[in-house]
Amino acid sequence: MISITDDIIIRAVARILIPFIQVYALYVIMHGHHSPGGGFQGGVILGASFILYLITHGLEEAKEKMSELKAGLLSTFGILLYSGIGLLCLIMGRNYLDYGGLSTILKVVPAQARSLGILGIEIGVGITVMAIMFSVFFDISTGGILPEDEEDLGVNR
Amino acid sequence: MEITVLVQTTDRAFEILEKARDEARELLYSSAKLTSETKSLVEKREARAIFSDARQKRLAIRNFIITTFVLFAFWILLSGRFDAFHLILGIICTLLVSYLSHDLLFANIRVGDIRIRARRFFAAGPWFLGQIFSANLHVAYLALSPKMPIDPQIIRFKTKLESDISWVALANSITLTPGTITIDIREGEFFVHALDRKVAYDLSTGEMEDKIAHVFMEADHIYIQDVLDVSRIFGALK
Repeated sequence: MISITDDIIIRAVARILIPFIQVYALYVIMHGHHSPGGGFQGGVILGASFILYLITHGLEEAKEKMSELKAGLLSTFGILLYSGIGLLCLIMGRNYLDYGGLSTILKVVPAQARSLGILGIEIGVGITVMAIMFSVFFDISTGGILPEDEEDLGVNR
Repeated sequence: MEITVLVQTTDRAFEILEKARDEARELLYSSAKLTSETKSLVEKREARAIFSDARQKRLAIRNFIITTFVLFAFWILLSGRFDAFHLILGIICTLLVSYLSHDLLFANIRVGDIRIRARRFFAAGPWFLGQIFSANLHVAYLALSPKMPIDPQIIRFKTKLESDISWVALANSITLTPGTITIDIREGEFFVHALDRKVAYDLSTGEMEDKIAHVFMEADHIYIQDVLDVSRIFGALK
């Protein structure tokens, strides 16, 4: 289990950098349709910020910010957003993920509807990738056994 | 004879009774006093808890607002698009991030000194740049001279700084100055690798530490420097 690091420089610098990393990740996600980047890249950066917090501040504190339950719920929410937008296009009589069909709901011209649709898709992808990245690292770092499980099972490591 | 014995025993019985009554009264008094004392103590503690709770909450809200502004400035710097859509996206994103990590960016900052710190930070900048420049020249001289008169050493000193952020600032400014590298900080003790005797001597005078302490308003420098600041303002007013 990862506990809080005793190196004060790493801890303090991580503490100051994490909010900026998160804003940068959201910038990469939100500007995916204008500049390089997108949902996957931004999601990875966002996940990395949480992983940095876990490494520097330990498992106990990291669980308050992002627990396994939250990560699981967020990953499914991202997929729901993705497939929901796709299905909405299907319901509007277009192909799956053909965002032009959203123009009647959003009351904008089809070109702008496509822009907004791809933004929604990227947000969904970003959320899922972030949650999955975090949960993969979480599982590896704990070896699949949480502290409360250890008490239940009587596992000593 | 029997009567006198009887009178004596009754007297003693009365004495014992009186004593018992006095003791009981004292016990009652002391217990009442004790309960009132504990009551006041508990009340005081509760009041303090409420006070500190409110203070914590106010601090958290203030941190949230400041973090939002700082992060929004960072967003503008990154984005460079000033149409309403992107600005609104930026506001949403910065609010989200400050909700997630408002306790990280400004964790150990005391009330009401952020502006002074920022001013002092920028005021101290030129001194640090000058220090780095002169150290650069010295290290270049060491590297270029044919004999290469280096004398590597590790120096250890206890710092008088208090918060983690000022420790990190000192460690990073030591590392940023050529010729010296901070290896580790252990419980307020710095381990610094220095390239030669002059660099080590410059470090051990503690001028850099003084500057950092001044910027972060720590140790006894606060008072002297504050007096100096106030005297200047006073002179200007006069």
